[in-house]
Amino acid sequence: MEITREIFWNVGHWVRWPVYGLGLIVILIFAYGLIKRIRLWRMGKPENRLDNIPRRIGSLLSFGLFHKRILKEPYPGITHLFLFWGFLVLLLGTFLIFLQEDFTKLLFDKIFICGNFYLFFSFVLDLFGLLALIGVILLAFRRYVLKPDRLDNKPEDLIGLILIFLVLLTGFFNEGVRIAITKPDFERYSFVGWQISKLFVSSEASVYSTKILHVVFWWIHLLLAFGFMGYVAYSKLLHLITSPLNQFFRSFAPAGEVKPIPDIENQETFGVAKLQDFTWKQLLDTDACTRCGRCQDNCPAYLSEKPLSPKKVIQDLKDHLTSQAKSLGKGEDAEKEISPIAGNVISEDELWACTTCGACQQACPVLVEVIDKVVDLRRYLVLIESKFSPEVKLFFKNMETNYNPWTIGFATRADWAKDLDLKTVAEKGDVDYLLFVGCAGSFDERNRKVTRSLVRLLQKAGVNFGILGTEEICCGETARRMGNEYLAQILMQQNIELFNKYGIKKIITSCPHCFNTFKNEYHQFEGKYQVFHHTEFLWSLFKEGKLRFKTGVEMTATYHDSCYLGRHNNIYDAPRKLLGSIQNTSLVEMEKTKEKSFCCGAGGGRMWMEETIGTRINHMRIDQVASTGASVVATACPYCLTMLGDGIKEKGMESKMAVYDLAELLEKAL
Amino acid sequence: MSNDVWIVAEQKEGKLKKVSLELLGIGAKLTEKTGGSLSAVLLGQGIDSLTEELDGYGASKIFVCDSEALKDYSNEAYTKAIVDLVKAGNPSILLGGATALGKDLFPRVSGRLTTGLASDCVGLTINEEGLLLAERPVFAGKVMVDTITPEARPQMVCLRPNVLPVPEKGSEKAEIEKVAVEINPQDLKATIKEMVKTAGEKIDLTEASVIVSGGRGMGSKEKFKVLEELASAFGEGATVGASRSAVDSDFAPHDWQVGQTGKVVNPNLYIACGISGAIQHLAGMRTSKYIVAINKDPEAPIFQVADYGIVDDLFKVVPLLAEEVKKLKAQD
Repeated sequence: MEITREIFWNVGHWVRWPVYGLGLIVILIFAYGLIKRIRLWRMGKPENRLDNIPRRIGSLLSFGLFHKRILKEPYPGITHLFLFWGFLVLLLGTFLIFLQEDFTKLLFDKIFICGNFYLFFSFVLDLFGLLALIGVILLAFRRYVLKPDRLDNKPEDLIGLILIFLVLLTGFFNEGVRIAITKPDFERYSFVGWQISKLFVSSEASVYSTKILHVVFWWIHLLLAFGFMGYVAYSKLLHLITSPLNQFFRSFAPAGEVKPIPDIENQETFGVAKLQDFTWKQLLDTDACTRCGRCQDNCPAYLSEKPLSPKKVIQDLKDHLTSQAKSLGKGEDAEKEISPIAGNVISEDELWACTTCGACQQACPVLVEVIDKVVDLRRYLVLIESKFSPEVKLFFKNMETNYNPWTIGFATRADWAKDLDLKTVAEKGDVDYLLFVGCAGSFDERNRKVTRSLVRLLQKAGVNFGILGTEEICCGETARRMGNEYLAQILMQQNIELFNKYGIKKIITSCPHCFNTFKNEYHQFEGKYQVFHHTEFLWSLFKEGKLRFKTGVEMTATYHDSCYLGRHNNIYDAPRKLLGSIQNTSLVEMEKTKEKSFCCGAGGGRMWMEETIGTRINHMRIDQVASTGASVVATACPYCLTMLGDGIKEKGMESKMAVYDLAELLEKAL
Repeated sequence: MSNDVWIVAEQKEGKLKKVSLELLGIGAKLTEKTGGSLSAVLLGQGIDSLTEELDGYGASKIFVCDSEALKDYSNEAYTKAIVDLVKAGNPSILLGGATALGKDLFPRVSGRLTTGLASDCVGLTINEEGLLLAERPVFAGKVMVDTITPEARPQMVCLRPNVLPVPEKGSEKAEIEKVAVEINPQDLKATIKEMVKTAGEKIDLTEASVIVSGGRGMGSKEKFKVLEELASAFGEGATVGASRSAVDSDFAPHDWQVGQTGKVVNPNLYIACGISGAIQHLAGMRTSKYIVAINKDPEAPIFQVADYGIVDDLFKVVPLLAEEVKKLKAQD
């Protein structure tokens, strides 16, 4: 007996034609749904995401095919991997059969799924089918029994899971019944079907009824599979298409970069009022989201009971997009007055709760971007509607008059340096590095200590550097993230003019927010510099032997990653290595660390707003520090230093722990 | 055109605001130079008794506009009453307080009279040409601008409260002129239906002349009592404030909060008790005339902005201070 199986066995070869017909209908239904969504994305503004194709393919392979992000969480990761690869292999198998039946056999009367290949083929398909079945059962178990908080259940989830489960189950039963009747020994390789066939041991007498059962299974399987394919375009299953697209069209810009409003002087509207103001990629994001909720699980605002959940933001935008689709479909005037998204679709409280920490984006398996949308919507609130809290108003006013967030005159910006032997770039002229002090380091008494420590470390290492003195102004980071792009660009361009006037090429700063802005955003206005965060720079000085830490500091320390240093700029090691280079210091890690680090609560302008809803984010972080047992928490960011310092005081933990900037600890260890 | 100086006296619910007396004080000085007379304009309902409080500060006349339409402050009604009066009396100078009311009322009055307005001023003199020269801080107090109104009359100014002293009260009485107000309450576009107030009779932080503020060093809500006692020792115009961390720790309600995210204040005297002086707090009180800091920690940044610093336990110092203030007040 030849080792193969007859395609369309028992159901009759005539079914080929109705299958073709049905298939065509399903493809049309699918295409109609997909095209409708594509047309919605195309309402957005243009944006080039077709540069760097090889890297995009790489992203598709690693994030899509190999589940790089999904696997970060074992249970949902592995189960999804099973389901994904199971389905992919089954799809490939079906395609091979299609190739054989409709090409090689039809045209050349040749079959290739036979012999040893047939055995291999049968085994692999059964194996992956089984994996997919296990995957779908475990995923359903997780969703409906374990019920993680981050999953919300909609009918489409249940329908999708049931469809997949039934398609797989009927496939196996179909195979089992066939084997039960034909009984070829080599079908042992179809090990799942082989086992099932034992349920249908057919005697001569019952062959007829078993054959009918086979036909029934065959048709149910076919109709379910086609139903599934059609349903894809009208449910969250569309993520089979949109998620890989999103991984392909991902942003390669640094995570911390906020895009400018181009040619701001000549714009008539600012930010995003309605869906059409988003780019097509921003709209695609909403369809790529699978509601997995990992963003929400990592969002400091959500975890501290603020009204913000990144998942909800993206889903609310998606629902808004869908309702727009309905009104477009009805032929209603697309230009008719629609209420703006900010304040209606997404509440103002949600928008102002975001710390732009990027934890959501770091966790998203399909690389949905959130910060850009929050900033765009804030831009609308601030620049078009002038809607912001009194605290934010004071911040803007102070920035406009004194180039710093506080009500302090700009003429006192360099007062911290009075008793230090320090020259400005203007006085010194030829410097290798500019030390950009930043607002907190210039005015805030606590952060001035950090600046002084850093200056002494740099002087000790013989670095030729200067400061801008009273000419320095805010880098523009916070104004930009608060949506005041106009103010931000004024500050940025003014700084760039200043840097260029003094021929600055290399900048050192102790503030990750200044660092990120110089490094990732000043290029938008032709300001290109080599930028070093002080931790990086001090680490290179240590490596070069220009700094020696001879004094041991007895302490158990933990390091709190600044979002703008870590997640947004991938600097995780230098600060830890620096801490490790201090003798007698032992370093312990918090549970939420490195790319999963928990924000201090100050980013995105939150530093300047009251936190009246829910738990304070900095209090939560202090609890996380406390659970490590560390007596010292080291930071490398003035915002984090302030927030953690406040948290320690407010929770009455002064006797248990203290917070220092790395520069301060290193100076102690000199 | 006369050389007269008029001030708009401010009252709320039958109580005269202190800024009215400050205005009379500077008004009297200005008339010495201009040679005109000083008058006060008092608006409200059932306010006759307040004229006695205005007596003795150099005003020769008090215009009393008593009307139901003026019972509660209404921009429209007050503007009409004042504009009618000014058009009839033609003063050369019209002064008001840069209070919430003044900042709302004076811009409209100046608009109606098509004259200039210098708002939020801290000093007034008459220059060689006999013009009113108003000094106003801009850029967060970094620059002082001298403003004059060369042509249009009256020369209008809003004066920041608590900047100028209240002079000694004399014995002379002013002539009372009752002014008929022709405003039909029904004609007003906006009427006040109800005033919703926050709890307590505390005076507004931004209007207080003395603020006793407590920080996290207070330790509890109950212990804020010692600050309230000190504030009450100072008498009228004194109140209690709090730092953000005290508010966060629920020692004090949010509307007591002084700082970047609370109220920005500039009293004559700010007493910071158990406040370390985080920059967010300093941003709200550093422009106070005199700052006294009481803190156990000599390194606390608050001492950097303080005129007087006491390094000790505030619970020892504050009651002593309250006693001494009471003694001094008793001598008055």
